[in-house]
This record gives sequence, structure tokens and C-alpha cells, in this order.
Amino acid sequence: MVRLSDLHPEEAEHMLQRAEQLRRRQFDHDATPWITPRPLTESKIALITTAALHRRDDPPFRFADSGYRIIPDDIDRNDLVQSHISVNFDRTHYQRDLNVVLPLDRMHELADAGEIGGVSPMHFSILGATEAFLLEPSAAEMAQRMRDLGVDTALLIPV
Amino acid sequence: MCTAAVGVLSHFLQRHGIATTSISLIREQSEAVHPPRALWVPFPLGRPLGVADNPEFQTDVLRSALGLLESATKPTIVDYTREAPDGGGDGLWACAIELPTPEVSELEASLRAEIDLLMPRYLEARRRRGRSTFGMSGAKLEQIDQLVSYAVAVAEGGGFDQIPASATGRDWTHPTPMLIRFVVEDLRAFYQESVTSDADAGPPSQHDMHAWIFRETALGRLIMQIAQLITDDDDPRLLFIRGLLIPEGFWEGGPTFGGPPPGEDPREFLIRSRRYLQGQEA
Repeated sequence: MVRLSDLHPEEAEHMLQRAEQLRRRQFDHDATPWITPRPLTESKIALITTAALHRRDDPPFRFADSGYRIIPDDIDRNDLVQSHISVNFDRTHYQRDLNVVLPLDRMHELADAGEIGGVSPMHFSILGATEAFLLEPSAAEMAQRMRDLGVDTALLIPV
Repeated sequence: MCTAAVGVLSHFLQRHGIATTSISLIREQSEAVHPPRALWVPFPLGRPLGVADNPEFQTDVLRSALGLLESATKPTIVDYTREAPDGGGDGLWACAIELPTPEVSELEASLRAEIDLLMPRYLEARRRRGRSTFGMSGAKLEQIDQLVSYAVAVAEGGGFDQIPASATGRDWTHPTPMLIRFVVEDLRAFYQESVTSDADAGPPSQHDMHAWIFRETALGRLIMQIAQLITDDDDPRLLFIRGLLIPEGFWEGGPTFGGPPPGEDPREFLIRSRRYLQGQEA
């Protein structure tokens, strides 16, 4: 069981400061349109991870990188490395099983069972330590790519 | 930080026509940005689906997050109440390998001896898992000696901005001084994958893993030695790297990250530190 109270006090304080910064920013969340998605059985879904995963040959994420990397759905799992800069999160479970961070196998099982309409042929990765408001241009690009692929839905997963 | 990015990114994606749902690890950050749909999970950072090698549990988390696409009719944060079934907690794991006691001197020889001992387990784990997370510095496994040479050169005072001759010629993916962080992370990945190679034993908690590295291995001694050099250095920009090498709670001098010198604007300090760490500024 890990909640904020289970983190090291320095780390917990850091997380709370971040929440407070977000509040002070007065981001206009009401300006975001509500989207009523298609039924899950008809939705084609992409994954977006903040774990800074990328292919070995891709340039790694830099400190405060606001870009994104593409992870093909059929990627060789050994072709994925991680250039996230933070040392304050668990990596042993991810090292054993990619699905604990990027649940590609689980998504395909749901698709095969007919619970979701399909899995996007392309997923996306960002560096979650980057200041979030710098990510808007990358979000626009990712959304365009998804629409081009007939993907209407994204599941975002932090680490 | 990652949960904050997820929340804000959810808004941006919906503004471009993509319906989103998400997982939240830090509820307070999600509450601050009102993402369209978020499932808060009570799992350790780094484990958004809860636990490795447990498809049933992972699928349940996934169904719960995706289910919000059908159930939510306005911005919603829902709590996932099942705990991760990892038998977890700190202090339960013990490393099955007894490493030679690291000598007080001969850091490089101690590191190499540990790596030699761990190598069969690392290879076993890599073969069974079909993957390894080693290689983020750009080094291949057969170049692990160069990683050691570079890290030891830094730890022994060779400087943070130079790559010693013994480690040149590699296709490093990061500039100095940031490279040291990823070289250390590759060595840490090698150690962690090696000592969790037993498929039947559950992985250790994050705390236990770090405690083992810092208390029982020459790698831990290497990292602490680098951190001490950073601490003793006059350049406050380097303190960022200490925070990227040592998790909170394992640096006895207090918080692992530093801060701006007295009187300097924190944002200006962050910008010039970032330039330096990316190798864009001496």
C-alpha cells in the first residue's frame, strides 16, 4: 500500500508542491470539451505512457524534454529502454514485466475478447517530469496521428 | 510529476478530439487539474498497473480505468480500492546472492567482481524475460567494462565533464555531465535485473532494493562517492545530478536535490542548470 503518506516526506512534499503549482496556474479546465466516447466495444485505443520509454535507436529524452516518442504496437519488447530522469519510482516490477507500465498484452487480450474495439497500431511516450503545460504542441501532434489511424480514445498512464 | 503531466495532457488531447481516460498515482495532483476521467490507484510510484506478472490484477485495473469511458458523464476521479497483491512492504526481501564484501579501496576491482558474479543471473533473467532495460546510456552489455571505467573515473575525481580515454569510442546517447546519471542507471538496472532473476520470488519493494544497493554493494559505494564529490563541488548546478542518482531517504545529508544559491531566482537557476546538464553550457 503506497499513498502520499507512504512516500518519503521530501518526495511527498515535492508532490504536494506540484499540486499547489497546478492550482495556482488557474488552468481553465472548464474550457476542455466533454467528449462522449463510442462504446468501448467500438473504441480503438492508444496508450500514452509518461515513463519516457523509447526504442534503443531513438534519441533519449533530454532533461525537460517536451517531445514524444512513438512506440509501435508490435514492438520487440527488448527494443524498449527508458530515459526517465527520476530515481524516485520503482523499476523492479517494470524490469520483470513491461505490462505493469505499458499493458500491451492486457490491451490485446481485451481486444481479442471483444471488450474493446481495437488497439492502436501506435502508442506514445513522453517524459512525465517535464513541465506539463509545455506538452500542448506534442499533444496536438499525437492527437493528429491518432485521428489519422482511426484511433478515437487514449488511456494515459503515469509512473 | 507524471500524474500532473497525465492530467494536463488529458485536457490537451480532448481539446483535439481524442476521448481520454487515465490512471492517477498522486490523487492530489489529479484533483488540482480535473482530468476528464482518472482512476486513482493506491500503488507505489512506477507501478501504475499494480504488480508484475499478474495478468488478472492488471486486467482488473485496466478494465476499471477504461470503464470510466462508459460510466463518467463529467470530469471524474474514481478510487481503485484493491491493494496490489505483491505480498509487499519493506524489509521482507533479502538478496539471494552473497556478494564479496566491498573493499574500502579498489572500487573498480570490487565493482568488476560483483558484475562477474551477477552476470549469469542477469543473462538468465534476460533470456527468460526476452528483454532487458539495460542500455539507456547507449552501451551494449559487452561494453559494461566501459561503463565501469567511466563511472569509476568520475567517482575518483576525474571530473564530470570529461569521458576518460578508457571509455571513449562508445556510442553514448547523453552529453556530459548528464551521462553519468544514465551510466549509473544502466549499472543499477544490471544489478536489479540480476538479483530479481528468480521467477518464483516476488520482486522487492523499492525501498528494499535501494537499501540493498546502498548498504551492500560496491555500486552503492560508487554512487555515494560520486554524490559526495557533487556535494563538495562549488557548482550548485551539479546538485541536480545527486537528486537523479540517489532516491530521497538515502542521502544522509538531507534532501537529495539541491536548490539555487541564496538570492538567485529558482526559475533562472533551473534554466541555467538545465543548459549545463544537457551539455549546452560549460
